[in-house]
Amino acid sequence: MSQQPSTPLPPPDPVPLIFQRGFRRLVQQGAYIGVTALLAWYVYDALNLREFGFGFLDDPAAFKVANQWITDIDGVTNNRITMYLVGVWSSVRVIFVAILLSTLVGVVVGVARLSSNWLVARLAMLYVEVFRNTPLLMQVVLVYAIFLVGAPIIQEVLVIGDFAFISNRGLAIPWPVPDAGWWGVPDWFVGVWVALLIAVGIIAMTVRRQRQQLERDTGQPHFANRWAFGIFAVGALISFIALGLPVSIDRPIVEGTRYLEGIVIRPEFAALTIGLTLYTGAFNAEIVRGSIQALPRGQTEAANAVGLSAYQRMTLIILPQALRQMLPSITNQYLNVNKNSSLAYAVLYDDLFRVAGIIQNKAGHALEMFFVIIVTYMLISFLISVVMNFINARVTRVGV
Amino acid sequence: MSDLPPIPRPEQRPLPPAPGQRRIVLPPHRQRSRRPRSVRIREWVRKNLFPSRSGTLLTLVAGTILAGILTGAVYFVFVSANWEVITHNRWLLFAGGFPQGEAWRLWVSIAIVFTLIGLAYGTWSSMGRRDHLFVALVGAFVIFLMAHGGAAAWSSIYFLIAVACLYGGYLFTVRLPRETSTRRTWQQRIVGGLMALSLPVVLLILLVGGEVGPRNLDGFVLNLILAPVGIVGGIVLGIPLALGRASSMKSISWTCTAYIEIVRGAPLLGWLFVALFILDDIIGGDLIVRAMVVMAVFTGAYMAEYIRGALQALPRGQYEAAQAVGLTQTQRTRLIVMPQALRISIPPMVGQAISIWKDTTLVSVILPLRELKGNADSAISQFEFTPDRIEAYVFVSVIFWIVAFMMSRISQRVERAQGIGER
Amino acid sequence: MRLPSLKSRRFVSALMFAGAALLAGALIGACTSDDDDQQAQAVEQQQQVMQQQQDQPQAQVSGEPRGNTIQLVQDRGTLKCGVKQTQPLFGNRDADGNVTGFDIEFCKAIAAAVLKDHDAVEYVDASDASTRFELLADGQIDILIRTTTITSSRDMELDVDFAQTTFYTGQGFAVRKDSGINSTSDMANAAICVQTGTTTEQNVADHFTDIGLNYEPTGGLSQDVAAAFFEGRCDVLTADASDLASRIVVRDDADDYKILPQIISKEPLAPGVRDYDSDWKDVVNWVVHGLIRAEEIGLTQANVAAMAANPPNTEVARLLGVPFEGGSVSTLGFDAVDAQFIQRAIAAVGNYGEIYDREIGDAIERDCTLNALARPLPSEAVDCGPGEGGILYALPYR
Repeated sequence: MSQQPSTPLPPPDPVPLIFQRGFRRLVQQGAYIGVTALLAWYVYDALNLREFGFGFLDDPAAFKVANQWITDIDGVTNNRITMYLVGVWSSVRVIFVAILLSTLVGVVVGVARLSSNWLVARLAMLYVEVFRNTPLLMQVVLVYAIFLVGAPIIQEVLVIGDFAFISNRGLAIPWPVPDAGWWGVPDWFVGVWVALLIAVGIIAMTVRRQRQQLERDTGQPHFANRWAFGIFAVGALISFIALGLPVSIDRPIVEGTRYLEGIVIRPEFAALTIGLTLYTGAFNAEIVRGSIQALPRGQTEAANAVGLSAYQRMTLIILPQALRQMLPSITNQYLNVNKNSSLAYAVLYDDLFRVAGIIQNKAGHALEMFFVIIVTYMLISFLISVVMNFINARVTRVGV
Repeated sequence: MSDLPPIPRPEQRPLPPAPGQRRIVLPPHRQRSRRPRSVRIREWVRKNLFPSRSGTLLTLVAGTILAGILTGAVYFVFVSANWEVITHNRWLLFAGGFPQGEAWRLWVSIAIVFTLIGLAYGTWSSMGRRDHLFVALVGAFVIFLMAHGGAAAWSSIYFLIAVACLYGGYLFTVRLPRETSTRRTWQQRIVGGLMALSLPVVLLILLVGGEVGPRNLDGFVLNLILAPVGIVGGIVLGIPLALGRASSMKSISWTCTAYIEIVRGAPLLGWLFVALFILDDIIGGDLIVRAMVVMAVFTGAYMAEYIRGALQALPRGQYEAAQAVGLTQTQRTRLIVMPQALRISIPPMVGQAISIWKDTTLVSVILPLRELKGNADSAISQFEFTPDRIEAYVFVSVIFWIVAFMMSRISQRVERAQGIGER
Repeated sequence: MRLPSLKSRRFVSALMFAGAALLAGALIGACTSDDDDQQAQAVEQQQQVMQQQQDQPQAQVSGEPRGNTIQLVQDRGTLKCGVKQTQPLFGNRDADGNVTGFDIEFCKAIAAAVLKDHDAVEYVDASDASTRFELLADGQIDILIRTTTITSSRDMELDVDFAQTTFYTGQGFAVRKDSGINSTSDMANAAICVQTGTTTEQNVADHFTDIGLNYEPTGGLSQDVAAAFFEGRCDVLTADASDLASRIVVRDDADDYKILPQIISKEPLAPGVRDYDSDWKDVVNWVVHGLIRAEEIGLTQANVAAMAANPPNTEVARLLGVPFEGGSVSTLGFDAVDAQFIQRAIAAVGNYGEIYDREIGDAIERDCTLNALARPLPSEAVDCGPGEGGILYALPYR
């Protein structure tokens, strides 16, 4: 039968329209778009957008924002958007510090959980189980309450070695400030020193790369890191002295009930940062542990076989490889830190969410304020993602 | 793999035989079990605590920290803390404005939930020594709390009845045969169905008839209601969202992506702000309902991402094989794709469930709903309890910890039972 | 990769069950909460009316009634009262979960007047100052009795209308006695704890701008900033003087603190109702006036029943809504609220002085303060009589 090519095949029956794939998809999408548009129209109609606009952000703020650092912007004379940006700056500080500290805590505790030392492993597990399973809000308010009760009042301030003070008004520590130095130069002169530092840093990095290349080529140790660090330290010291000590250290002093000079780490900032660090650190520790455990056992055994010490094994073999595995999850945790920083609302820290709340309370416009909030959080998330993607690209560039 | 005897590490040399013992050469793992207990203990201590000089130092440091924490905790709990703020306000913290005359509704609901937990445990798992210990400890904690200061003897008895229900349900199901059969399938279906029905049934018992309204859900009861609603609602929303995002139709995948990313872009606190200020024009209704909607919408976006991750992790062969045997798209999704995807995404989804449980504390920060933390704030504004802030907050944390810890343990059990994470 | 097991398929069916169950639950919830539905419908109607009025600009006459809260409350059978739940003396919760305090008594009085049952109140938490007006505008509460100051901007811009003041106070400053601060001019660069989202926040900013000093603010929720102050976080706590007094008096170490005599603002605390609902505002107003009048003429919770049975004069009869010597009943009252509403309010909570004594008592001195009765003093008198020497002055009820 089939050997008769001359007989033309009968034309296939036309497929009814409703069974055609393209048509069905069209109908499905059409229906979906219709329903979505209907919903969107309903929401739009309900929202009463007649007064929608951001003009109110330009009105005078008439409230003060605490917890400023470097910036000292007075809320009585500035407009609302300026004060909101002050709040954003406060949030960014908390997020940055919490991300750094939580990573540190995560790595240390994650490695400790796998320690062969029973007690250390148990201690790490205790930490993780306690902090992972309690609400962050409770951790933040508890840290704050404990600090307020536990730290001495300012009248009985605790002095550490004559340069740092602890009271429940905060921790005051010395801080470098631009200074006239030997040559009595103006404040901007410190900028010259910073520029020099950057130049020295670039030189140090170039030397490091060259020595690393040498090491790879010859197989002999060339101590790239030690050289780079040494060059940078010497260069920094020489330029500092040569420019006539343009920076001096400001020591804090206590006058009456307040700190002068130096820099003060406020209890609100500390509570929020410590709370975020402990909470996120517990999650990071689990991620670190998981990625180390996911490595093949052969890695550890090979490292043992070539006679590396436990520390070398961890820093040279295990952690660099585990890093690739953990980066996506860790990035997620950083994004959570960003969002969780809004818990400043519960301690007395004026972050962007609280400032937005104050503005909303004074001016109304809840929808606009929410729009501003969500865009800000998304921008910070975007920044974190960009940085982490860059790191991820660098880490995964070399194939295993 | 794990059934094989452990391979001795290079540094583990067999100990010299004890004096007076016959020299019999045995494999190392058998040698150890022959030695007397005291020697084994000594060896364990040496190996795990004092392996080397630096190891000893580490042990000492860790021991000091642990001892410091323990003494601090013991001193705080038994000496310096004034727990009267909790015992005096236990009803406020537990149920707040829930009418005391209607307390039976709470107890019946608790008994039902406990029975279901028992049934589920008996069906899919079994309780080990640690589980019994956990139940006993938590039970003792609750009874102590209620018996302290008297006048709550009946509550203790009701609670004991609830625990008895738990064990009753457990003992009933754990004795049924486990081998795969139609009976077993029906048992699992019935228990699963009952669990799925438990939330509406509990809501019915709590809210229908009498003088109780949604507004009376207060204190810890509110947390216990909000979290399951958020979790179940989140899964129900998350599955279509995940499928939508993975869809090949652009309009559907774009809108689902937009929804997921926007919801995940802002913190829950921000969405609760929306519930208060913006949702009144869109859905209206009581704030507690809006809070539930926001919890579900928020959790849904996260659940969708986990399910989508699982969908992507499925090998393409699964789709192709399903197509090859002639399944329609709906059948493919229902029978092949979703079961596998859901199984893979159980661990992160349980993580999200724990997270939403902890996040129920946030409703009293923005919304005028008084959950456990909000009522703790009221308690420390009372006359005699103003200095007892830390006690109240520690108590709230412990309560949240108990439930979250239980959830994480159950999820580990499910993972092990389903073989997730094994390769 | 394993093939899908029976187990996981069962998991999916359980999930589907769950979805169906959730829907069922939602339906049940929708069916059971009738009263809430009614309320929601009423609010909806109200919103529809508002919408229509907004759609028809010619009909938008300021002051035209837009809501009927009395009807809403009576249909629902409970009064939704927005109160503070974290402030001692004014609004806090006790161990049984009940709400108590000065503001709460007025909720009860109004419920007794409108609903004839002083227990028919549903207390809604309005502790967060930043969100309280939204609750009112949103219809989550019928009345806001939450130490809220009348200000022109709130009255003009927000959807709130204020009734008769229930408590007069002013913004004060609390400091430790040993701090050496005696007035705001001693507070240069001081750390000040202030509640955000309130008039106090703006007052203190204005005041310090006026006197040319700087200060370091620490802002947050009322109970949080108070706790921070008492732990020594701030030098100064600023809030309404009554708020400060209530927070200090409940402490063991109350003697270590003092409230400066300097008052930098007027803070008349009044019940708030929704805009454009003058009937409801009238009821609230006259309940408050009635309670003050009751104190002026010596009507108490104890003797109100006897007085109603046998009124000594026409004024008492009129106030209590009973016939005098067999005459006709006073026709005062409202369409939806009968003439005996003040009688019920007094029977429920007592007169203003009794409320004050019961809830605030000696914690905040009353004699010779604004919250005492404005009774003309004999010219030679130096001391005020009990509960006298203030500006409380009931408007004539006739």
